[in-house]
Parts: sequence; C-alpha cells; structure tokens
Amino acid sequence: MIEVVNVTKTYGKKDSAFTALNDVSLNIKEGATVAIIGKSGSGKSTLMHIMSGLDTPSDGHISVSGTVLSQMKAKQMDAFRAESMSFIFQAFFVEGNQTCYQNVMLPLEIAEVRGRDRKQRVLEALEAVDLAEKVNSKARNLSGGQKQRLAIARAIVNKPKLIFADEPTGNLDSATGDKIIDLLFNINKSIGSTLVIVTHDNDLAARCQMQVRLKDGRIESITGSAVKAKSAKTKVAKKGKK
Amino acid sequence: MRITDTVRRSGRSLRNAKLRTILTSLAIAVGGFTLTTTLAAGNGIRAYTDRLVASNFDPAELIVGRDKEIANNGAPSTEPKEYDESVSSLTVGGDGSSLQIKQVTTEDIQELEKLPYIEQVRANYILNARYVTRDGQKRFTLSATAYNPAQKPEVEAGKLPTEGDIAAGQATLPDGYIKALGFKSANDALGKTIKIDVQKPFVDSTGEEVIQAIREGRDLKTLQPASEQRSFKIVAVTKKAATSINFGTLPVLVSTADAKNIYDYTTEGTSNYGKYSYVFVRVKDGKDAAKITTAQNDLKSKDYFTQSSKDIQQSITQIVNILQALVGVFGLITLIASIFGIVNTQYISVLERIREIGLMKALGMRKRDLRRLFMLEAGWIGFLGGLIGSVASLLVGIPLNPWVTKKLDLGAGNSLLIFRPAQIIALIAVLILVAMVAGYLPARKAAKLDPIEALRTE
Repeated sequence: MIEVVNVTKTYGKKDSAFTALNDVSLNIKEGATVAIIGKSGSGKSTLMHIMSGLDTPSDGHISVSGTVLSQMKAKQMDAFRAESMSFIFQAFFVEGNQTCYQNVMLPLEIAEVRGRDRKQRVLEALEAVDLAEKVNSKARNLSGGQKQRLAIARAIVNKPKLIFADEPTGNLDSATGDKIIDLLFNINKSIGSTLVIVTHDNDLAARCQMQVRLKDGRIESITGSAVKAKSAKTKVAKKGKK
Repeated sequence: MRITDTVRRSGRSLRNAKLRTILTSLAIAVGGFTLTTTLAAGNGIRAYTDRLVASNFDPAELIVGRDKEIANNGAPSTEPKEYDESVSSLTVGGDGSSLQIKQVTTEDIQELEKLPYIEQVRANYILNARYVTRDGQKRFTLSATAYNPAQKPEVEAGKLPTEGDIAAGQATLPDGYIKALGFKSANDALGKTIKIDVQKPFVDSTGEEVIQAIREGRDLKTLQPASEQRSFKIVAVTKKAATSINFGTLPVLVSTADAKNIYDYTTEGTSNYGKYSYVFVRVKDGKDAAKITTAQNDLKSKDYFTQSSKDIQQSITQIVNILQALVGVFGLITLIASIFGIVNTQYISVLERIREIGLMKALGMRKRDLRRLFMLEAGWIGFLGGLIGSVASLLVGIPLNPWVTKKLDLGAGNSLLIFRPAQIIALIAVLILVAMVAGYLPARKAAKLDPIEALRTE
C-alpha cells in the first residue's frame, strides 16, 4: 500500500545541511499495523510527515496505493488526505471549545461529505470509542483518555485507509494508554485501516505486525514485515470498506 | 469545506471568543451607527425639501428674470454689471452692500405673454405698504403681496376660491394680526374690513415748492408725498404652514389687480415703475417636465434667466448632499479605524488557533477553504457591527424623531430621520464586505501556515 523508495530528507543548505532521513526504503501492506521506532531525533516524525504528504522528500519518492505523492497537485493532495488519511497526536489536538460531535464532524466537513448520514457517521464513530453519551459535551471537560478516544473517533469517522498515530499514548498513564492501544488495534481489525504508529515504546511496537527501527535517519532494522496469516484479514478489511 | 459548514464553523469560533468579538464589532458599530443615522437624516431632509418645494413652487411655473442672479441659486455674483436703465438696487448686506438687479420691464412682460407656450405671466409684486390698521386700533407694519392661486396658504378660518384669484377688494390676514387688530378670534375677523396705508414715492421737492411753502407759512412736512388708505374685506385668516419658505412675517395677500394698483401707486415716478425683479411664468401643459425644459431653453435664447421648481429643488438637494457627505466621511473614518481592529483581532485569532489550523490542514483542508473560514469570521464581525450600529440608530432615532421634528418645527407628518430597510440591509452588506477585506491578510496567514510547524508538540 505504501511504498517508500530511497527517501532522503535534508534540511538547510550546504554547510549547515542536516540529513533527517537517509536513503530510507520500506513497503507497508494494506491493513497492516506498523510501528516506527527510534529515539528522538532519529527521523521517525519526519518519515511520518513524508509518508502522509505533509512534507516532501528531498530525494526518492513515496507512493500510496500506486499514486506517487510528489506528482499530486496541492488540490489533489488535500482531497487525497481528506478522504484517505487521518491523524492521532500525542497532544490530542481536540478543540476544547467545541462539543465532541463538532470535533468528530470536522473531517467530514473538510471532505465535503454530503447527505443526511453525516450525523449518523459521527454518532457511530463516537459509539466505537465509547463516548456516545458525551456527544454534546465540550471537549475541554473530558479526561485525557477521553480526549484521545475523541481524537480516535475523529480519525475513524471518515473510514480512512491510513491512520497515522504520533505517540498516541505519550500523554497518558499506562493503564489508559493500554486501553487506547487496544482500541486502535480493534479499529484496525474492524475497519481494516492501515495503522502507522510512531513511538519509542518497545512494548507497543511489539504488538504491531511490523517494526521499523530508525537510527540517525537510517533504517536500523525492519522486522515482522512478511506475515502470511494476515492475508485473510485483508480480505475482510476490503469488504468492510465497501 | 462547503460554504454552509464554513459559515457555521466561523460563527462558532466567534462565539467562543464572545468578548473579543463584541468589542471588535463595536468599533464597526460606531461607523454603522453614524452611517445609518446619516442616511436616515439624508432621506428625511430630502423628503422634507421635496415637500417644501412642492408646496411653495408650482412645477408648471418658471421664475423668469433678466438678471443672471435669478439663476444663481441665491449666491450673488461679485462682478460688476453693465449699467442699464432697468437696473435697480436691493439692499442686502449689513455692510451696506447691495445687489443690483436688472429688472423685467412691462415690455418684457408683453413679449413673454405673446410667446405661444406661455399661458400666463404674473409679476412679482413686492408691495411697499406702510401699515395696516382698523378703525380704533393701532397701526402695524406688514408685508403684502399678490395672492397666487397655485400656492394656497394654510387657512385657519374662512375660505379661498377653489380656482382663480380672490376678488378685488378682498384680502387674507395672517393669524398674528388677529389679537393686534382687536379681533376676538379668526372667525370674528372674517368679513371685517382692514385698512392698508400706501404712500406715493419720495420725489425730491423742487426749490420753488419749498420757497412757496415757506411763504405760505406751511409746515414743510406737508411736502411729504401723498398717502392713502385702501380698504380690504378679510376673506380668510392664514397661518404659517409647516413647509412654507418664509423668513419674515406672513404676508397679507390681495388680488393681482389690487397688487398691481398698489405697486403702480407706490412706484410711480421712480425707476422701479412698471419693472419687476422677476416674474412668474406659467407654461402651457407645464406639468410635463419636457415642456418646462423647452420653455427654459427658448427663454434662455431670448436672454432671460429662468429657474424651475426642479432647479430650486436641485440646489437645495445639493446642499443637503454636501452636508450628508461631510457627516458620511466621519462615519467612513470610524470605519477605517475599525478595519485595523479587525485585522488585529483576526491576527490574534490565527495565532491562538495555530494548532487547530495545522490539524485542519493535515486533515486535507484546502488553502482556499481556510482562507474563506477566516474571512467569513471577519465577515461575521462586520455583520454583527452593522447590526448593532443600525439597531442602535433605530433605537435612538425612532423615539427621538417626534421630538426632533417638533424642535426643528418641521411640522406634523415630517420626520428628520427616515429609515429605509433596503438601505440598512445594503449598508450591513457593505460592512460585511469591508470586514472580509480587512480579514484577508490574517486569513492568508492562516492558509499559508506550515502544518508541520503548527503541529509540533514541543
């Protein structure tokens, strides 16, 4: 699904140049759960940004479902992101002043989803993260775990093919964090989204089907990438998407 | 993002910063208030002048004169004029300056009367009556002129003919003279007789006459010009109309025949005899504006200066427009000041919401949509400001209107402030537009924001 081919990312110019990613190549299958692991400064966030099209590589290219991101125009890129991707962040980034309902509605509005089932989809997403009774509560009144669940609801409401989670448990205590991780894996199973988690938590990484370890902008190791038992799951996922 | 969602979202983010939104929109509201009030006042004054002109000037009549001052809208020219037999002086200024007017002569009137498109020529009789009195009463000064059937005065008692002139020997009396002349009421005065004293013009006595008088031991006062009293029957008592243009006391009105008689009596032997500063010319089918214009053009080619009721109206309206523009400029200045308020507020709003903007961009929100979101936010501020301003203007204006009307003596049925809903709606629309333009720069900043920078947690 995602092909990263010889991607290099350099910041700055000539003398002060800093290479964040150095010739990174990897291949992620549809519906997979992937952990990108590394210390801070290893380039894992940069890799995520480039994979999601928020940032462009200095060299090499990324293709998602056969489309090369760098060949897309800004308008196409926006439409592609609105329809096929979503994000979960360490700091939640939910809008405290808005209700849960309004927070979850945002991706649907951006993707210009029309029709009456918009409301239904928002309620289903909140149901999926067990926040159905908080529909009209302001997001600022939620606990940390609830906020992250709300962020997950926002991430899945559009049924994206690809979910990026940047340190999703970083701001949570371990018990709450575990629940969030369980939720993410459940969603991965139920809607078949490819899940890319950026983390430095080895336990979390171990639960993923594939682990990409980065060090100083280079790939240190890729493990568990070829899991044969997954093919059956992929089929289910495809069905679910339609 | 669809436009309805954008409008809703922008409105919502303003509600989340209520105090800031209201304070910013109050700045616009001041401009909105000034402009709404100015527009309403302009409407009111224009409606008032329309009525004023309509009730004082017959649209079928032209004021026709030989002097260009006639068409000068009351702004006397300072250039010297060539002397002509028919020039007469009118004292005007407190500094002793006077206005020389080339007058319309009897021959001119005869010429005018022959023109095919002219129905009637009426001289403007400014009557120099000395006083008005009644048996056993004191003498009072007065102004007097000819009755104009096309311009009926407001009547307190009595009746004026529905058409045509009042009969010779009849007169109208202004209500101010009722008590002075010892009448019990306006009705009491009807049918009673008043006397108007008129005097022959002063003509210098010859030395011979003076010597003759001294020889005969006569008082030199007897050399004063002769005077006589004319009797008139009161046909109606007039009162000041709300829309009358009148700077002195109301005139006593007499029939045209009597007016001519008095005018000739008081001017005989002077250079003013048989001459008038201007005359009123009634154009055939003059209700038709095109006929008036044709008549004006033809008279102009014959060296007459003319002024139609439309010209008078335009000259008054022009003054009103200039005043309105002046006040309007103050409104615009406040508006310009409030634009900076909007720019400032929206910049702060963008800075406060960097995360939200970053997230929206990450989720695929287009630059255009983001720009629109923030411009619409500014538009909401403009809408709110316009609404507050115009509602405040209505709240202040409507209850105050009758009071102002009374204070300015505009008369019943006239209002200083006339609010037109379409105008207010248009004004609010303009304010929304202005606010959106003001919101463009901050909106562009939001649209250009780098999502990666915006979403950095550290």
